[in-house]
Amino acid sequence: MLKITDLQVKVADKDIINGLNLHIKPGEVHAIMGPNGAGKSTLSYALTGRDGYQVTRGSASLDDQDLLDMEIDQRATAGLFLAFQYPVEIPGVSNMEFLKVAVDAQRLARGATKYSASEFLKLAKAACKQVNLPLSFLKRGVNEGFSGGEKKRNEIMQMIMLEPKLCILDESDSGLDIDALKIVADGINSQRDGKRSFLVITHYQRLLDYIKPDYVHVLADGKIVKSGGPELALELEAQGYSWLESYDRNAGDASE
Amino acid sequence: MSSWLADTIERAEEVNDWLSPKRKKSLSLLKDTRWPTRKTEAWRYTPVNNIERARFNVVESQGAPATDIPHLNAIDIVFIDGIYNAELSSKHFPEGLTITQLSEGNSSSWALDSFSKTKPERHFFGLINDALATQGCIIDIAADATIEQPIRIAQSFKQGTQTHTRILMRLGERASACVIEQLEGDELCFNTSFAEYQLAASAKLEHYRLAMQCADAISLGGCHFHLAEKAKLNSNLIGFGSQLSRVDYDIIHAGQFTDSKFNVIYLLDGKELFDLHSAIEHTQPNGKSEQNIRCIVADHSNAIFNGRIHIHRDAQKILAEMNNRNLLMSENAQINTKPELEIYADDVRCAHGATIAEIDKEAMFYLQSRGLSRNEAQVLLSFGFINELVDLMNNQAVAQWLRPILKQRFAAMEVS
Repeated sequence: MLKITDLQVKVADKDIINGLNLHIKPGEVHAIMGPNGAGKSTLSYALTGRDGYQVTRGSASLDDQDLLDMEIDQRATAGLFLAFQYPVEIPGVSNMEFLKVAVDAQRLARGATKYSASEFLKLAKAACKQVNLPLSFLKRGVNEGFSGGEKKRNEIMQMIMLEPKLCILDESDSGLDIDALKIVADGINSQRDGKRSFLVITHYQRLLDYIKPDYVHVLADGKIVKSGGPELALELEAQGYSWLESYDRNAGDASE
Repeated sequence: MSSWLADTIERAEEVNDWLSPKRKKSLSLLKDTRWPTRKTEAWRYTPVNNIERARFNVVESQGAPATDIPHLNAIDIVFIDGIYNAELSSKHFPEGLTITQLSEGNSSSWALDSFSKTKPERHFFGLINDALATQGCIIDIAADATIEQPIRIAQSFKQGTQTHTRILMRLGERASACVIEQLEGDELCFNTSFAEYQLAASAKLEHYRLAMQCADAISLGGCHFHLAEKAKLNSNLIGFGSQLSRVDYDIIHAGQFTDSKFNVIYLLDGKELFDLHSAIEHTQPNGKSEQNIRCIVADHSNAIFNGRIHIHRDAQKILAEMNNRNLLMSENAQINTKPELEIYADDVRCAHGATIAEIDKEAMFYLQSRGLSRNEAQVLLSFGFINELVDLMNNQAVAQWLRPILKQRFAAMEVS
C-alpha cells in the first residue's frame, strides 16, 4: 500500500526527515509516536504535498504510484487522506458544498458517476450522525466556529465520505475529552475493512487503546529508531521518550 | 473644454421638457466644471478619456432585455438601450404604488421638486445625467403601503448606444418596498444611470443595484438616498467591472434613528475597472450605518474604493462602520482603497478597516488535500469570501440567481 524508502525532507533548508523507511500493507494500522520536533507532522505534509516541504531524497509510493510526482489533489484522488492536526476554518464555504465538490472529484478520479443531490445528502447525513455532529453543521462554514473536538470529528466525517485507501491521522486525539476521543476512534474503526490502511500519528498511547495498531514506530530525528508491536506504545507511555537519548541524536536540532 | 463635453452641452441645450428648469441649473454648473482628469481627486485612479475616444449614437431600441431573474415575481419596468419598453413592462400595480415614466411629462410637483435634490451636485456625470436623462421612471409609494412584490428596473445596453436614465422614488411614511436595479451589457456602450430615493419617516427600503455591465461597457451612475427619521435602508451593490464602471453612492441620514446597511461585492477580471465612491452623511443624532465592501480582482483589473463618512457637529451617538476587504488573485491587479472619516461630533463610534490579501494558502492546501483541483479550490475560496454577503441578502430569488453567476465569473478568472 504505502512504501516509503530512504525519505529525506527539508523545511526551510533544514533536514527534518532523514532517511525514513516505512512499509504499510493493505489493512494494516501503523502508529508513529515520538517527541515534539521529531518530524511527525513533517512526514504527513511531505506525503500530502504541502508547499515548503521539499523532498530531497528517497521515494514514496501509494499502490505503486509515485506520490512525490503528483499534485496535491492527485495524491488525494489516488487515495491518500490526511486528518489535520489543526483543521482550517473557511468562512463562507459551507461544509456541504465543500464535501460535494470533494466527493465528486474523488468519484470522477475513480471512474464512478457523481452522486445525485439526494444520494449525496443521505450519505452526508449518515456520516454526520456517525461522528455525532448535528446536521446543522453541514450548512455551516467549513470548521467555522467549531470547537476543537468538533473540528476533529469533522475530519473523520470527511474521511468517511471520501473513502480513501490510506488515512494519515495527525494527532487526531489532541485536545479531545474522553467522549470525543471515543467517537473519533469509533469513526476510524468503522472504516477498517481489511483493505484500508492507517498511519496514526500520536504523542500518547491513549488513542491506541481504542485503535489497535499492528505496528508501533518511534520517530526521532527524522527517522524511525525503533519498531515493534502495540506493547512498544505501553513501554513509551511508562518510560517517556528520554530513553531515546541513548540513540545517536542531536537533541533540539530538529523541529516539526 | 473637451470636445465630447462641448457636444454634450450642445445636445443638452436642445432638451426641452417639464424638467427643463432643473436641467438648466445643472447645465450651468456643468459649464463651470472641468472635465475630470487624474488631477481631479474624485477621479484620481479612474481615467475617463476613453469616453472621448469612442463614438456613440442615440439609437432606437433594438437589443434584448436584461436577463430574467427566476422566482422573483417582480413588477417589471424594462428599458432597452435606455428606452422604456411598455410591452415587456408590468401594467398593473398593487394599491399604494404608482409608477410613471419620466418621458410622460410632469406627474406631480414632488417629482419636479425632487429631481436632483438628493443627488449632490459634485458628481460630474450626475450633472450630465441631469441635463440629458429624458428616460427613466418615477416610483411613488403611498404612506403605510407595503409593496410585497419587488420592483425590478431592468436595463440592457447594446453596442454603440449612448443612454441616460433616471429613477426617482419616494416612499411615504411607514411604507416599505424592495427595488432591484439591474444593468446588463458587455459591448461598447456609454450610459449614465442615476437614481434618487427619498425615504419618509419610518419608511423601509430594500435595494439592489446589480451593476453587471462588463467587458467593453462604459457605465457611470449613482444611487442617492435621503433618510428621514427612523427610516431604514438595506442596499446591496454587485459590481462587475468593465472598461469603465463608476458608481457614486450617497446615503444621507437626515433624521434621527435612521439605519442604513450597505453591502458591496465586486468582481473584476481582464482589464476591467470598477470605482465605487460612497459617502455617508450623518446630519442628525442616533443614526447607524454599516458598510461592507468585498472585492476580488484578477488579471490586470483595477478596483477603486473611496469611502467617506461624515458625521456632523450635532450628530451625537452615531454608530458608523465601514469595512473594506480585498482579495488579490493576480500580481498585476490593482486595488486602491481610501477611507475618509470626517467627524465633528464627540460622542460617536466610528470604525473603519481595509485589508488587501491573497488567497489563504493554508485553506488552499486543505481543500486540495481533499481532492479539489487548484482551480476548484480557488473558486470555492474566492466565492466563499463574497458568499457571506450574498447569504445576508433578504431576497432569496436574487441571491439564488446570483450565486451561479458569480461562480461562473470566478471559474473564468485568470489566476496567477
